[in-house]
Amino acid sequence: MLNVKQMSRVTIVGHKDIFERTVDALHGINSFHLEDYNNEDLGLKIGKPFENGEDVSNKLIKIRSISNFLGVKKGNIKKQNMDSVFKELDTKLVELDNEVSKRTGRKIEIENNQKELVTHINELLPFATIPIDLEQYSGYENIAVFAGVVKGDIESKLSNITKSYELFSDSKSGIIVLFVLKEHADAVSDILSEFAFKELRVPEMSGVPVDLLGKMELDVANLQKNIESLDAEIESLKIKYSDFILASDELLSIETQKAEVPLRIATSEHTFMVDGWVPNEDYDLLADTIEDATDGRAFISRTDVTKEENDIVPIEYNNPKITQPFEEIMNLYSRPKYTEIDPTSLIFISFPLFYGMILGDIGYALILMTLAFGIKKLVKSDAVKPLMNILIYCQISTLIFGVIYGEFLGFSLAGLETHGVYIPGLIAGFETINLFPSPFAAEMITYPVHRTHLVMTMIVVTALIGLIHINFGFLLGFINERKNHGFMAAVLEKGSWFVIEIGLLLAALGYMGYISSISGIGVFLIGFVMLLKGEGIKGPIELPALLSNSLSYTRIIAVGLSSIYIASTVNQIAFDMVMPESFGPMTIFAILIFLFGHALNTVLSIIAPGLHSLRLQYVEFFTKFYKGGGIKYNPFGYIRKYTEE
Amino acid sequence: MVGEELAVIDASGMRAIGAGLAIGLTGLASAIAEKDIGTAAIGAMAENESLFGKGLILTVIPETIVIFGLVVALLIK
Repeated sequence: MLNVKQMSRVTIVGHKDIFERTVDALHGINSFHLEDYNNEDLGLKIGKPFENGEDVSNKLIKIRSISNFLGVKKGNIKKQNMDSVFKELDTKLVELDNEVSKRTGRKIEIENNQKELVTHINELLPFATIPIDLEQYSGYENIAVFAGVVKGDIESKLSNITKSYELFSDSKSGIIVLFVLKEHADAVSDILSEFAFKELRVPEMSGVPVDLLGKMELDVANLQKNIESLDAEIESLKIKYSDFILASDELLSIETQKAEVPLRIATSEHTFMVDGWVPNEDYDLLADTIEDATDGRAFISRTDVTKEENDIVPIEYNNPKITQPFEEIMNLYSRPKYTEIDPTSLIFISFPLFYGMILGDIGYALILMTLAFGIKKLVKSDAVKPLMNILIYCQISTLIFGVIYGEFLGFSLAGLETHGVYIPGLIAGFETINLFPSPFAAEMITYPVHRTHLVMTMIVVTALIGLIHINFGFLLGFINERKNHGFMAAVLEKGSWFVIEIGLLLAALGYMGYISSISGIGVFLIGFVMLLKGEGIKGPIELPALLSNSLSYTRIIAVGLSSIYIASTVNQIAFDMVMPESFGPMTIFAILIFLFGHALNTVLSIIAPGLHSLRLQYVEFFTKFYKGGGIKYNPFGYIRKYTEE
Repeated sequence: MVGEELAVIDASGMRAIGAGLAIGLTGLASAIAEKDIGTAAIGAMAENESLFGKGLILTVIPETIVIFGLVVALLIK
């Protein structure tokens, strides 16, 4: 539980005849982590992809582009038999490709036609109100035609020049079409420019614009219908083929993966050498499967992990299912090294513990727990699930501390009499019980624990919790160090901290007069020298961290108090300040303030306690023993979703 | 004269001002420190997303300053 999975290094050597069979077998087991070969000095070369590689990857590209075009979504489908998918793959792929490209070709053609029509319509629109055949706009020997837009009425000025003209105009859009004798053309043009004349191109068509427009719009609508029916056909293709697409995508991905394996493996002219790692528990299965697949012709050798290899062993967690979500928190920091203690199971306890101690509110625990269960049910993502599980664990702890603190959405559940003033609780008749006076301050420990009235005691208690947590970290550091560098290094580097702490404790007792202070100072100095020897100069520099780290745990009460104060301020504004005596519009306003205020604090209740609890693990706890930096165990294989053998 | 002015100063008021200063100034200090670390962390994450965890930790380290401020404020109160 506290160690990662133990691995063996496995080398498989054989003749190239059995290369493909070996790779198939390894892929099927899905527990062999391939170590890439990149040392060509040894005389062995990196292999070439298997023959079918290019063919398979071409098909894969084709199927992915079709899948992309159709927008096939990953979903739950019945698993299909691999062989039958494989058999019909080629014919079905060609068929699908034809069907799709036929329709897309047709669609593009129609869309182009449609676009062309729309441009024509736009050109024609200005002339819609002019009832002349478009052919009559040109082809005259003695008549000049002006077609365009003007501002204002030109007719009065025009009549000054000539009486023989023909003018069609639409006052609304300012469109004019003017026919004059060519001899007057220059003069007319001058007048027109006074009216900001802008010439329009006359479309080269025949017919009256209104009729033409009507026909064209009908055509556009028809084409649109065609496009829609094509879209429907493509949609039905997607439904018909999506099972096939998903299954063959998976199948081809697997084949490509296998075909490209030789690129990661050492080969000579006639032999190959596969190098990699396998968890000890899976070794027998691996050996048997390869024996069967190659009729015993492959040579398999197994070695234990040597000290030099510690840095290159792939790391696979070895945790019970219940603590597995916290591997995400470990991954966020760094995977453990092979010989290190894997602290996943420890933060399974301490992370929710601190989170709960900070938040400690029944109301928020219930809201967030419902939220987490809801999201877990609705969102089927593998990335979200562990986070929601962590949130649920945290809320269980919050609920327990909520009962201890007796808090519900910032209200106190129990009534409390303090300094002669009685503050009623949420539950009538539930009174605070005095237990015993606090040993740290002039405060009374009660049940429920009222954090707002026990600030001093809580500060001391949280700092002490911090001290315990940190020392636990030193203990783990001692174990790690002893495993990696021997007992003496462990005593000097981590044990010295315990000696220093004992020295400080004795000195404190001496200061209070219980014993002579010499012994305390002596023990402290011994510890100091040990630390100096173990860690060098960086050890003593770290000394003040002992104080600052344990004081850092006071954030448990500090952040908790800030959360209480936000919640109770919301309650105060809603119920004491806004809520009227009798029902009215302000009642609704007060309820809104209550809802929004607590919604805001709920969001903060995930972020603040979560981040601070996380930080206590990462900064205060991990720095005492944890290094991390392990490589992810990534077995060669594939988890089939849509196909089966 | 001097005695009269002193009498006006309320001890609990001074404590409240002290507590406010403790939180306000440490808050500013945390903010200034976190600003630099946060920018650097985001820059690093743009290069390599797996640095998110480390960036987050480094960014919240100065939070301790304001937490201590809060603790001191509570002690003054």
